[in-house]
Amino acid sequence: MKALDIALKDLTRSFRSPFAVLFMFGIPLLVTGMFYFMFGNIANEGEFNLPRTKVILANLDEGGPKFQINPKNIPGGKAAENMGELVVGVMQSEEMADLVEVSLASQAAAARTAVDRQDSQVAIIIPPDFSKQFADVDGEAVIEFYQDPTLTIGPGIIKSILNRFMDGMAGVKIAVNIFLDQAEPDETALVGQVVQQYLEISLAQSEDLEGELLEVRAPSSPQGNAAAEVSNPLLGIISPIMGGMMVFYAFFTGTSTAQSILKEEEERTLPRLFTTPTPQAAILSGKFLAVFLTVLVQVAVLLTAARLIFGIQWGDFLPVALIAAGIVFSASAFGIFVNSFLKNTRQAGVLFGGVLTMTGMLGMIGIFAMNSPAAAQMSDTVSLLVPQGWAVRGLLQAMNGQPVSSVLVSALVMLAWSAVFFLIGVWRFNKRYE
Amino acid sequence: MSYVPAIEVLDLHRSFGETKAVQGVSFEVLQGEIFSLLGPNGAGKTTTISMLCCLLRPDGGDARVMGYSIRSDPTGVKSVLGVVPQELALYEDLTARENLVFWGKMYGLRGAPLKARVDEVLEIIGLRDRSNERVGKYSGGMKRRVNIGVALLHKPKIIYMDEPTVGIDPQSRRNILDSVVALKNQGMTVLYTTHYMEEAQELSDRIAIMDHGNLIACGTNEQLVKLVGQQTRIDLTLNVEAGSILSAWQSVRGVARVSVEEDKISVLVDDSNQVLPRLFEAATRFSARITSVDIREPNLETVFLHLTGRALRD
Repeated sequence: MKALDIALKDLTRSFRSPFAVLFMFGIPLLVTGMFYFMFGNIANEGEFNLPRTKVILANLDEGGPKFQINPKNIPGGKAAENMGELVVGVMQSEEMADLVEVSLASQAAAARTAVDRQDSQVAIIIPPDFSKQFADVDGEAVIEFYQDPTLTIGPGIIKSILNRFMDGMAGVKIAVNIFLDQAEPDETALVGQVVQQYLEISLAQSEDLEGELLEVRAPSSPQGNAAAEVSNPLLGIISPIMGGMMVFYAFFTGTSTAQSILKEEEERTLPRLFTTPTPQAAILSGKFLAVFLTVLVQVAVLLTAARLIFGIQWGDFLPVALIAAGIVFSASAFGIFVNSFLKNTRQAGVLFGGVLTMTGMLGMIGIFAMNSPAAAQMSDTVSLLVPQGWAVRGLLQAMNGQPVSSVLVSALVMLAWSAVFFLIGVWRFNKRYE
Repeated sequence: MSYVPAIEVLDLHRSFGETKAVQGVSFEVLQGEIFSLLGPNGAGKTTTISMLCCLLRPDGGDARVMGYSIRSDPTGVKSVLGVVPQELALYEDLTARENLVFWGKMYGLRGAPLKARVDEVLEIIGLRDRSNERVGKYSGGMKRRVNIGVALLHKPKIIYMDEPTVGIDPQSRRNILDSVVALKNQGMTVLYTTHYMEEAQELSDRIAIMDHGNLIACGTNEQLVKLVGQQTRIDLTLNVEAGSILSAWQSVRGVARVSVEEDKISVLVDDSNQVLPRLFEAATRFSARITSVDIREPNLETVFLHLTGRALRD
């Protein structure tokens, strides 16, 4: 009972401190909020809101060998008379309508002028010999790409789409050449079928270009937050950040709250507590309980606030509860452990600046490297050297809807860390005050 | 006052590394008396008090507080004690009432009795009207009063007060001294430590003088003063450095001891009327001029000077 009284007293003191409240709740939400607003423009009710790129096309292609192309395979449903028309068809297809706004020019100069005047952002000029060069074994079919140099994203996407299309066409050309080299004279009539076959493959790929270039990739079998990320990529950015912030500041709070043992020693209230008929075990238990309860409140509030403010989907209840418990135990025990090595609060500067920041950043390194597979693999390994790394790992697992068994491993490792930290911390503090 | 001992201290020892803080201290405190431990800083008073409230384990010896041994029954000792530490030991971000409620719980009080006792203590320390203000906003004197109030919550039989008047204004000091007397009048036993001779003299039924970890004298004020006989203390200042004048004065007939503190020289003499002219004469021989003379009747300062050769404030 006395232990609980001590813990409640410490909780009251902690939550009366504006500094503590700011660091417990304000900073993690604020940092996540900054990212939310920084990347908020890429999400609008869960959809991309990239402005359409204005493209002006000058198809000067005079044609070349006729291939047997079924109109149903041509974007727009029209038969293409030449390769240039095929390009125009792709650019004017419905699939591209969200990305490009196409207009046509009859001359190359007019198309360039439109870009110079900033009426269009990109001019695509298909030369007169485009089909001929394409048909020539040694020929080189080149499209002129003329863009506003001040723009990068929109023109970059169009350029990538064209490159993909041209790569596909090059594949068709190679296939035809190989066929002509190897076919018997009476089989050359089948060249049209070969073209048809490769064109179908190439065009099918072209139809997927938008998705290929702009899709925000999600882990396989997405559930929970991952499923939400597919519809709202902003969550994919801020969810790990919020998780990382929560872990970082939970450990900060655990260490800072456990520091109250040293603070009370310096304020002389701890020695005074020892002059009351309250057993030392109850006094220290109360102090430890206060650390645990403070971190528990912090984690519960941050999980809820992040859900309500940013719409973060933490995952199913059981995995999240397991990991939250792991965070609370490990952050509290870590705080008690680290403080048991300090002589006084003056040493806390080194602790907060060094140990806590270093281990915290190490634990979060996996989040920073998420979009770089090679770095992510290495950083995942490194981050697991510290308890914060396991906490982040567990949270991401829960967010990505991984099964309880996977999350349980992370939670158990955190509990093992907690047990070791707690036992060492308690032993040292008991020794200190016996 | 009852002649049954509230505290029996038996040959207490405590060292910190090479430093012997308390060396074989023994004394008794009777029930209902104010007993002062008097001595300069570093004399061993706080170490003795710390052992008596079970904060420090003695290296040797024992003490019994209302019959409970500090070695074998610290919980029993703590249950009959109220401790007012030398430094403020309060939660400044809690109100006075919250502080008292918390500390009351630590002494085992709960519910209605706790609430009633907190109100009583707030009345005693005169802070009922401002009980809901955070202690951090209080003046030094008010904090001292709360500090004492905490020790009174469980109506202890004995209260230890470790230099409770250090660093506070005269008015607050007066309040605290009055409250100590009030506690004695309520039948409480008070163990009081101080390095202010006047406080010990005013408050105490009996006084123990400590120096360098030893108890060098113990008794009532009158008993202690008798130790120096009819000796009088003369405080003098010179217009030059004391230097070799000191040894000259030490050899003057009728001078018991000479000591120096900053620019003041204290001389313990048998008869000031006879000795004072000789001191002037000796000073003149050294071409020095006495610029002030203060003759003091025997008191605890004189006793300390007599016993240790040093002024109490050294």
